[in-house]
Amino acid sequence: MADLHSVPGASADQLTRRAPAPAPSSTPRRRSGMRGLLGHKSPLRPWLLLAPALAVLGVLLLWPLVRVVMISLQDYGLRQIASGESNYIGFDNYAAIFGDSFLWTVVLPNTIGFAVACVVLTVVLGTAVALFLNNLGTFWRTICSTAIMVAWAVPAITGTYVWIWIFDPLNGLVSSVLDSVGLIDPATTNWFTERLSFYAIATLNVVHHGFPFVAITVLAGLLTIPKELHEAAMMDGASPWRRFWAITAPILRPVFAVVTILSTIWDFKVFTQIYLMPGGNGGNKEVFNLGVWSYIQSFAQGKYGMGSAIAVLLTLILLGITVVYMRTLFKEEEL
Amino acid sequence: MQRRSTVAVTGTLLLALGLTACGGGDSSSGESTGDAAAADHSGETLTVWIMEGTNPDGDAFFDEVTTAFKEETGADLQIEFQPWASAHDKFTTSIAGNTTPDVAELGTTWTGEFADVGALSDLSDKIKDAGLEEDLVPGLVESGTLDGAQYGMPWYAGVRSVIYRKDLFEAAGIEVPTTWAELQTAAETLKAANPGLIPFPIAGDSQYGAMPFIWGAGGDLAVKDGDTWTSEINSPDSVKGLEFYTGLATEAGLSTAAATTWKETDLLSNFEQGNVGMMISGSWTPGKILTDVPDMADKIGAFPIPGETDGLSDSFLGGSHLGVFAASEKQDLAWEFVEMMTTGKFAEEWGNQSGYFPGQTSLLEKVIEENDPLVAPFAQQMVEAGASVPVTPLYGQIQGKKTVETMLQSILSGSATVQEAADTAAADMNETFGS
Repeated sequence: MADLHSVPGASADQLTRRAPAPAPSSTPRRRSGMRGLLGHKSPLRPWLLLAPALAVLGVLLLWPLVRVVMISLQDYGLRQIASGESNYIGFDNYAAIFGDSFLWTVVLPNTIGFAVACVVLTVVLGTAVALFLNNLGTFWRTICSTAIMVAWAVPAITGTYVWIWIFDPLNGLVSSVLDSVGLIDPATTNWFTERLSFYAIATLNVVHHGFPFVAITVLAGLLTIPKELHEAAMMDGASPWRRFWAITAPILRPVFAVVTILSTIWDFKVFTQIYLMPGGNGGNKEVFNLGVWSYIQSFAQGKYGMGSAIAVLLTLILLGITVVYMRTLFKEEEL
Repeated sequence: MQRRSTVAVTGTLLLALGLTACGGGDSSSGESTGDAAAADHSGETLTVWIMEGTNPDGDAFFDEVTTAFKEETGADLQIEFQPWASAHDKFTTSIAGNTTPDVAELGTTWTGEFADVGALSDLSDKIKDAGLEEDLVPGLVESGTLDGAQYGMPWYAGVRSVIYRKDLFEAAGIEVPTTWAELQTAAETLKAANPGLIPFPIAGDSQYGAMPFIWGAGGDLAVKDGDTWTSEINSPDSVKGLEFYTGLATEAGLSTAAATTWKETDLLSNFEQGNVGMMISGSWTPGKILTDVPDMADKIGAFPIPGETDGLSDSFLGGSHLGVFAASEKQDLAWEFVEMMTTGKFAEEWGNQSGYFPGQTSLLEKVIEENDPLVAPFAQQMVEAGASVPVTPLYGQIQGKKTVETMLQSILSGSATVQEAADTAAADMNETFGS
């Protein structure tokens, strides 16, 4: 879980708790001279061993990250790409983004509202399915978990087209059914033009695609809970609802933390599922989220600086959410 | 398509007889043919990027070209097909990384953009030396020219007109419309006769469908004054045209709500399914319809987009250039390839196979003379009423942010009036134009 360790709050806490023992023994060694630098207990040694991996990560992850931040501070277009020159303009891109009411009235509400809905629904549905699977025998559990894994295995593009097709206003399954019972008139219905119905369909798509991961992860957690705990609680007359909140939920807290954070990260940066939907590729500004906005700015208009600034903003929001969430989580655990 | 196969066979025969492309055309290309014979480029390889899917049988075509090019110059060709959707990104990356091909097919709206950053070579002199100056389709020359220098060599062009269901028109006794009012009446009669049919869908994600009505009403997308462009899309004339076009959906009920988010491909697939009476569609689509649904052979026809009260409404003239990249070390060899592709036999053959029109005027006239009922209306549209979007790299940005589509979708979904949506679009364009 690299994501957990990269969070300052988490790693700091863990280090202070687990690191003290080796630290004193290595300190005197460092003072004993240059030869000790690469010696068995030298503090440099682990870094040397880590160097190849760090170098690869630095080139593949850190440098692009730095580049994005650098480009976000420039007026960077095709001309700069072609000539290789830089064109720094300070924080103008950020000023333009934050000064644009479009960000506050459309993009952020879409991004955040959609992510919150998706994360909550994914985790709730995933947990419910996991509890259901946990109560099945091995044979049916295997069958059912394989079945839901299919939803996860379908590529986002394919899955999106399936949902578009299901909700197609003229030929889709949903409109055919609603039409035949007289609820809608297909000639005047198009769910893709309204912000709310557009995102409702996108939510279905993303939740459907995301819940199997939660279900399988939570199921793995559930299988580790000793049966005795539930038996004891049953003897005391606890209802299933009470047992879930008093036994299952506290034990699985770290699992929920992982699936919630991962879902948050995934659902905040949803792009494919929005961009491929009818009207989602830029023609309907009402349904933009941060990902689509960034893409339209950078690649459709060639304003790479502006697009990068939006991407940096998205990253900062995600970092912020993750840090706050991890802090609350681990503080509660220590208390 | 009888015509096509005949031409393809003739083309193969010509090749077998050892006739080369440069000699095959009716342009005066004698001079450059002489040069070609003199220079020997054997051992060299020319890298060329071609867009995927324009010609359904691109592989076979380029096998033929490669053989002919080798005979002519001794050099090998490396043809790499690029999908349209990702090609622009790929060009950008290759310009940045200095890994551009020698020659590439460029969408007409890209040529100015890449020329503007110095990535393309000026072809004006070479075109002049080959005596081709007067023999190129003007609309394509215009979009390939930046600051007086021509960077894009016209290769092929396409234009949109109306494709309609001839069988349904005949059954309902409808004549081919020649004015906007007749167009609306035709759609209304179609609807009365075929209640399940969408008579004239207005696709919200198709900018080129709306343009003929803006231009046809005397409006424009943007006009150039001095060095700056200013949007005209909210002028009274443009709004009048847009009101008629979108009104066919919002007031006359001749479209369907689903079409608000349709792209041109959705129009096409619904037409192929038999749901649609007529549609604004490209000159390259009849061939595709007949391939997909052979039963439609006797049922479809085409007519140029009528003018408001007479004549024709202008329609966007799109297509491709061939460009030579400035970073290429094989400028002369590259030009020989460009000339071979864009003139004479290969240009003609490419047009016939792909359903596009050649960018060489003399070849285009030949196509018009053939008078194929599914080709001639488009040819007429192209020659008499072809128009270009504002020729500035900035308009590429405006297309990138889908200003016109946004306007159409907000009108069609009822979230804005025509005037409001046009005002928003104009402000959006002017923001990019910096005016």
